[in-house]
Amino acid sequence: MSLMTLLPIWAAVFFTLAIYSFLYGENPWFRFAEHVYAGVSVGYAVAFNLDYLRDQWVNRWSMSGGMAVLYLFALAMGLLWYARFNKKYFFLYRWTLAIVVGTGIGMALRTVVFTQFLDQIIAQARIPLFVSGDPLQSVSNILLTIMTPCVLLYFWFTGGARETGPMKHIAKIARYTIMAGFGAAYGYTVLTRFSLLIGRSQFLLGNPPNPPEAKMAFITIALVMLASLIGYDLLKPKNI
Amino acid sequence: MSILEKLENVERRYIYLLAWVFVLFPLLFPLGLPIPIGRESKAWKEYIENIPSDSTIIVSMDYGVSGMPELYPMTVATMHHLWTDTASKNFKIVVIASWNQGPLVFDTLLDQMNPASTYGVVYGEDWIELGWIPGSETGMAALATDMWSQTPKDFLENRPLSEYPIMENIKTAEDIDLVVSFETGTPGLPEWLRQWNTPYGTPFIVGCIGVSVPGMAPYLASGQLDALMPGLTASGEYEILIGRPGLAVSGLDAVSMSHLLVVLLVVVGNIAFFASKSKGVN
Amino acid sequence: MSEKLRSIEIPIIITAICTLLQVIPYYFNIPVIDQASAIERDWMLLIVNMAVFVGVISIGQVHGRKIMRRRDNWEYSVVLMVALIIMAITGLPIESIGLGLDNPIYNFLFINVMTPLGSTMYSILAFFITSAAYRAFRARNIEAALILVSGTIVVMSNAPLFTSSLPFLITWKNWIFDVPNTATMRGVMMGAALGAIALAVRTLMGIERGYLRGGGAD
Repeated sequence: MSLMTLLPIWAAVFFTLAIYSFLYGENPWFRFAEHVYAGVSVGYAVAFNLDYLRDQWVNRWSMSGGMAVLYLFALAMGLLWYARFNKKYFFLYRWTLAIVVGTGIGMALRTVVFTQFLDQIIAQARIPLFVSGDPLQSVSNILLTIMTPCVLLYFWFTGGARETGPMKHIAKIARYTIMAGFGAAYGYTVLTRFSLLIGRSQFLLGNPPNPPEAKMAFITIALVMLASLIGYDLLKPKNI
Repeated sequence: MSILEKLENVERRYIYLLAWVFVLFPLLFPLGLPIPIGRESKAWKEYIENIPSDSTIIVSMDYGVSGMPELYPMTVATMHHLWTDTASKNFKIVVIASWNQGPLVFDTLLDQMNPASTYGVVYGEDWIELGWIPGSETGMAALATDMWSQTPKDFLENRPLSEYPIMENIKTAEDIDLVVSFETGTPGLPEWLRQWNTPYGTPFIVGCIGVSVPGMAPYLASGQLDALMPGLTASGEYEILIGRPGLAVSGLDAVSMSHLLVVLLVVVGNIAFFASKSKGVN
Repeated sequence: MSEKLRSIEIPIIITAICTLLQVIPYYFNIPVIDQASAIERDWMLLIVNMAVFVGVISIGQVHGRKIMRRRDNWEYSVVLMVALIIMAITGLPIESIGLGLDNPIYNFLFINVMTPLGSTMYSILAFFITSAAYRAFRARNIEAALILVSGTIVVMSNAPLFTSSLPFLITWKNWIFDVPNTATMRGVMMGAALGAIALAVRTLMGIERGYLRGGGAD
């Protein structure tokens, strides 16, 4: 097995275990890996963003004089981002920010009312209260018809308004609904967290299609790292 | 210190160690537990099987390396299903990414699956990869109105789109019959729906990490979302349904054991809590 | 003149114009506005990409200062800066000298450094959620009992170990997903949509100015 084949695998195993070393406690391996991650993540984005700007210029905006002017104007506006590092010209940064915020709001505003509001009301209204031959489904539909408006009202009214009149009962139904509903969120969060751990464990154990060489790297690096962590703990000056 | 107090104050590192044991053991010594099939994986398989011939499909890699362990297996299985049917149903598949790590994650998939030799699909005729679409929701909207302007070149070969026969009739969202999105968060389904489903009526199916699953329920119930692949367990079921067991199936024993541990800890924790509470009352 | 340029009304007006430029063409077919809207949207994508060095400069300021002053753990700042510079330079879109997204070092760093680090960073939460399940997930009252019971059912229903021997768990999970979960998420979604619309209108009218804060002026 050549060094060029093993190096990537050992590097990936090392960085995986360096992150897991945090479970033992805050330590230099973890801090090293954490800083590398921050660095490569930013570097990765730099490359992709510049690639997009270049591609847009070469293949689209440089095709005519008018388009080129528009492109250069956008770049000039983009340069105003960097005015935020100068107190005197900070106001210019706000102009660029306003374009981005305004466009973003406009994008969402034009359809949010349909996608996340009206379509949901329509779906809610279309639920048949009674399903012939299926009493359980009927009960579920009736419950859904009661629960959804209760939850909505619960979020609508805050503070003391929840404790008076009919809102008192509505708030109670809503709280029970939300708690039962959040059970699903909890259950699926457990699934995700363990899926990620299982994925990394499959890599460390070299389960196919992961490279089998990872297993040896895992055992070796884990032992060295564990020994170094225990040694680091013992040698570290104690604050008594 | 009584047993109850000891139970209530177990050192956290012992719990971490237990979690390691419950995950690594079944991966080292597979238990081969039976895998019942749930409704979501069945619906996903049926939906893909029933995609009409000559459909143009966007596969959107809306996740980065952090979502890979959970989403990568379902991406591989779905691409296998789509590419297998490509020849017989004349699918046109366009791969994009609204997350900037998506294209390189898809590179990993290509290295593993090698679609040209495995499925006989031709790049540029049967499928194409356009790369990253920046700008989140704004990028999605721009892509919907003019795909060629947003991605003038493809990602894999870096050549103008005009050189690829597949792109001849793919210009806007109106030319797309289905979007398959694999996603971990924002931008994700809500943004897609606002810019593609509501204005153009484009159908969507989504594979997502477990954390995002509960939030998909209203879209699924309203019909804005046609099928949902909720996390690793459903991926494993789907791999079995399409007869291609992979990473998800091999991880399901570990899912079982780790979930068993969580249930046991909840039960023991509550027993200790109620026992010490009643002791306190006495 | 300079004072007028600094006025807070200018970005508020820009925000309003950009918002309306995206909303109006969706409801009215006015070719001129339609075209302006498309150009403005494409500009925004270019402008967003131009912000690429804002993060780099901020990191450079924080960690550069740390290195110069040899503050505690400054060595890690060097590591961060080196990783950033190598990744950014190798990925620069200058293919003629071997750089770019196909550069072998850039790809090596993505596959063997960034991928394991990114995947592992989030997987570590599995340990914390396990610990929390033991320490904090207690049926202290009816609400807590409800989340505990429904959460445990969903946890069990995601594990083939349980569903193969207790198949009714799948039905129970489906009910939790379809009824209380859908009701909760639909309520949250509709509430959030109303909130987003209200926030958008406030921003459009210049009442909401939070995003314009900073720089020593209102």
